Amino acid sequence: MSINPIQKFKDKQVLSKLKSRDKEAFIKVYDDNVKDIHRFVYFKIGGREEANDLTSMIFLKAWNHIQNKTLEDAKTLRALLYKIARNAIIDYYRETGNKVTASLDDEDNRLEIADEGENPQERLDRTADLELIKSKLPLLKEEYREIIIMKFISDLSLKEIAEISGKNKGNIRVLLHRSLNALRELVEQDVKQNTEQNAKQAEQAGNQDAKL
Amino acid sequence: MTNSNLIAKLNNLKKVNPDQKWLESNRELLLSQVSNSGAESLSIWKVMIINVSSVFKSAAQPAYALGVFIFLLLAGSLFSGPLLAKTKPNDSLYIARIISEKVKLNTTFSSAARNKMEVKFASEHAQDISVILSDPAFNNEANQDRVARLNNSFNEEVKTVKERIGRLSAKGAAVSNNTPAPKNDEVIIADSAKDGQGIQLSVQPLVSATATLATPAGFNLNATSVDLAATSTETEKVEPTKADKIIDEAQALFDSKDYVKASDKLNEAYEIIK
Repeated sequence: MSINPIQKFKDKQVLSKLKSRDKEAFIKVYDDNVKDIHRFVYFKIGGREEANDLTSMIFLKAWNHIQNKTLEDAKTLRALLYKIARNAIIDYYRETGNKVTASLDDEDNRLEIADEGENPQERLDRTADLELIKSKLPLLKEEYREIIIMKFISDLSLKEIAEISGKNKGNIRVLLHRSLNALRELVEQDVKQNTEQNAKQAEQAGNQDAKL
Repeated sequence: MTNSNLIAKLNNLKKVNPDQKWLESNRELLLSQVSNSGAESLSIWKVMIINVSSVFKSAAQPAYALGVFIFLLLAGSLFSGPLLAKTKPNDSLYIARIISEKVKLNTTFSSAARNKMEVKFASEHAQDISVILSDPAFNNEANQDRVARLNNSFNEEVKTVKERIGRLSAKGAAVSNNTPAPKNDEVIIADSAKDGQGIQLSVQPLVSATATLATPAGFNLNATSVDLAATSTETEKVEPTKADKIIDEAQALFDSKDYVKASDKLNEAYEIIK
């Protein structure tokens, strides 16, 4: 997905405004990107509170980087934000010493799920799917999880992912393919286990009925 | 489960959002922190400068390269004219002269001006060919092929000159035909019968020129003015024809290998058209 000239112009405009310490530009950047960045951090580290703190820190870091004219090599503002987010998460891992602090399906830390005009059955199915994926994502290798989040949840292009992760597009494509296969295997394994468990339970229930 | 099913499920995770209250409170918090570190609202001028510079920054490098190339091409074609005008048909830079002339022709939008320019260029080319062929150091047995080619070029140039003159004269005739004929009732004759010292007031410029003449009969003056108008139209028509004749003479002189005279004749024809 190539960036169209208008988007490129807007990016340059906002970046120049940020360099000139324009607070309106900063707020615009925050409003446009906060949900994506928060989602990226949340799916990477797994805890809502930690995601909140890190997201806040990422925006402040971005402001400071732009003012100090560091990280100018990022071609787009979005790539710059993700680059900062990635570095902030690495720093966070170093400080805490563990990788995923909380499970993504933590009952107390459930995030809002937007739903527009969905019927209860659809919502139930979708929630089940989400819970399944969310439970399997932390089990993936860090590298695989990151690329899946960037491509399918944050909706970044291959070019942007390559820029953020410092790899070439070919490598990203291969990595993406492997990540998807790994996740599919985990999901299928889970589905298989559940089916077997259900069959076993049904069998046990049948035996009890027979005894009675 | 296929990969596309999995991707669809993953895409659903885009709907996971942070708490709205946190979003708003964090926004306020960040704004206050940023304001403390020197953030401000920009002036209109500053915003305008940023917008202009962003336009330039967002243009891709190939676009700049293309722009510079076109600029150099145009500037080179337009401003190298005097330098290239000195090149002759047997020079290596002659092709550059032709390109420069083509650019000039294509950037001229008035058809009359373009025709005149074409006449000028073609007659200059023909003159240059005459000059080269009049040089015995060039026009000899060794250069037979090139001389033959130049002869052909001369004929082509003369043909072009004639065609363009034809067009110019056709346009001139069309313009003169469209000019309204002077009407008798546009001439006002005041008191011509009383004392024989009539005063004429006319809207026709040709007639007003004759109005100062004190003649007893205004009617004769009317007739004179019509004649004058007719004569002036004829003069306009004659000039291209005269040029045509001179070019024919130049062609004849060229064919009889009197190149110097042919060149002079071409110059004469161009002076008439100019």
